[in-house]
Amino acid sequence: MTGAVTTRRMPSVGTAVRHYLPAGLIFIGGIALWETVVVVFDIERFLLPQPSRIARVFVDEFGVVVSAGWLTMRKAMFGFAIGAIAGISMALLTSRWPLIRDGMMPFAVAVNSTPIIALAPIMNNWFPITSIWPGAMVVALVVFFPVMINAVRGLSEVPAGSLELMDSYGAAPRDVLFKVRIPHSLPYVFSAFKVGTTLSIIAAVVSEYFGGSRENLGVYISQQAALFHFAEAWAAILVASFSGIVFYLAVVMVERAVMPWHASMRNVAGT
Amino acid sequence: MTSAVAIAAVDKVFNPGSTDQVEALRGIDLTVAPGEFISLLGPSGCGKSTLLRIVGDLVTPTTGTVAVNGKTAPQARKDRDYGIVFQQATLYEWRTVVRNVELPLEVMGRGKEEREQRARAMLDLVQLTEFAAHFPYQLSGGMQQRVAIARALSFEPSILLMDEPFGALDEMTRERMQAEVLRIWAQTGTTVVFVTHSIPEAVFLSSRVVVMSARPGRIAGIVDIDLPQPRDEVTREHPRFYEKLTEVREILRSVDRS
Ligand SMILES: Nc1ncnc2c1ncn2[C@@H]1O[C@H](COP(=O)(O)OP(=O)(O)OP(=O)(O)O)[C@@H](O)[C@H]1O
Ligand SMILES: [Mg+2]
Repeated sequence: MTGAVTTRRMPSVGTAVRHYLPAGLIFIGGIALWETVVVVFDIERFLLPQPSRIARVFVDEFGVVVSAGWLTMRKAMFGFAIGAIAGISMALLTSRWPLIRDGMMPFAVAVNSTPIIALAPIMNNWFPITSIWPGAMVVALVVFFPVMINAVRGLSEVPAGSLELMDSYGAAPRDVLFKVRIPHSLPYVFSAFKVGTTLSIIAAVVSEYFGGSRENLGVYISQQAALFHFAEAWAAILVASFSGIVFYLAVVMVERAVMPWHASMRNVAGT
Repeated sequence: MTSAVAIAAVDKVFNPGSTDQVEALRGIDLTVAPGEFISLLGPSGCGKSTLLRIVGDLVTPTTGTVAVNGKTAPQARKDRDYGIVFQQATLYEWRTVVRNVELPLEVMGRGKEEREQRARAMLDLVQLTEFAAHFPYQLSGGMQQRVAIARALSFEPSILLMDEPFGALDEMTRERMQAEVLRIWAQTGTTVVFVTHSIPEAVFLSSRVVVMSARPGRIAGIVDIDLPQPRDEVTREHPRFYEKLTEVREILRSVDRS
């Protein structure tokens, strides 16, 4: 943080094009390569369908896959909200009692590195299998741990000097919490949210592989795959990926609005 | 008149009884009069920061007493007698410049109007008026340090504690900041305790320089700097300025030899 004054630059159209061009080219190149490989090596369509065929099926099945995707996305978002709220609440509660927090953190970190998704069949038994609940609970668990862990870190890893200053102002603990600890934890929490968006779509889809109502994306994918309808399965996977990206970008937009001051926001167009 | 700071027989031992025990300070006696500008000078590790932090109630002394404006240090802290500036600006990055300056006033429950007015006045004082709405990352190191000073002054603390506030600055900025601090000091009449390891800085700024020796930290000598006030660039060429530099340097050297 040295040198001259910097001001926030609005990305011009030219820099935006230059920024996104490589990704665009690689995307188009990748699709073209896939198409060519399938045709040239005459790969069986049930092993790997051509992108053009997936696209055609996608258009034909648009209504089905999109409504299935929306159901699953809603489940993911619902579970995400539960997990995020629970994770933040738990972090805030334990921040009052460092002993509980420090005793709990190793377990949280340990659980976080286990495949929570493995609980899906159990959740299917605990909650009505055709309802939103079993999947949402798996999603909530998957999101809960990273959010809680990061929130705890953000709340507690405040630089000593920042706290000493507040002390020197004779600040009450609640002022320290609201004016320093919580704002300091925002970047940590948002980084967990961003990881959580991807995880929540994965968890929602995979938990549906273990059963559920037929209108869901995961059930659709596993049934189409079982029937050797691979292009349909791929079209649905496309919807899942798209949902993940949309969810991620939505969180990024909220992040930008909430923390315009953060380092990650400084060079929006990249350099 | 009660003294601004009265330190009597203060010792500080960190981690007593363990293998990493450090005797940071031994037998410190020091009195600072209201409105004085006093510098703590000495080699690295001699306990300057520790002494400053004891005055500011961020560290408690192992033995001895500290009185600030006739009160205990914790009481003085509760009464908001201290403005503190560290070597790092320690701005809150999620607050704009003006809201950083307002923070202490906010914590102290002052009204919005008063906060805004005080913050404006302080930013004028450190000549950062146009940067009020900027975030800290948009400022240079020297500007950030000026915000930290404005913030420390915003609630008119009776004592300003500064720990190497200009350590990270280049020579030019540093001299400008020194002039600025002197101007602010003259304008506000606060008591300043200033930590530095630059001899010219200590002599230029202070009414008295406290020279410390290391391991354990002790006061090796106190030099009265009777240079004329207000001080400016001419002061740095004053013959007495050189005499004082030499006097301080000699105490430091004798400390080094023992
Ligand atoms: N929190 C602490 N715990 C243990 N030891 C400490 C602590 N703070 C300071 N010390 C020790 O006390 C001694 C004095 O430290 P202090 O920071 O006061 O020195 P200083 O004069 O400010 O040095 P510098 O000029 O390098 O900043 C050092 O030996 C240091 O290791
Ligand atoms: Mg120090």
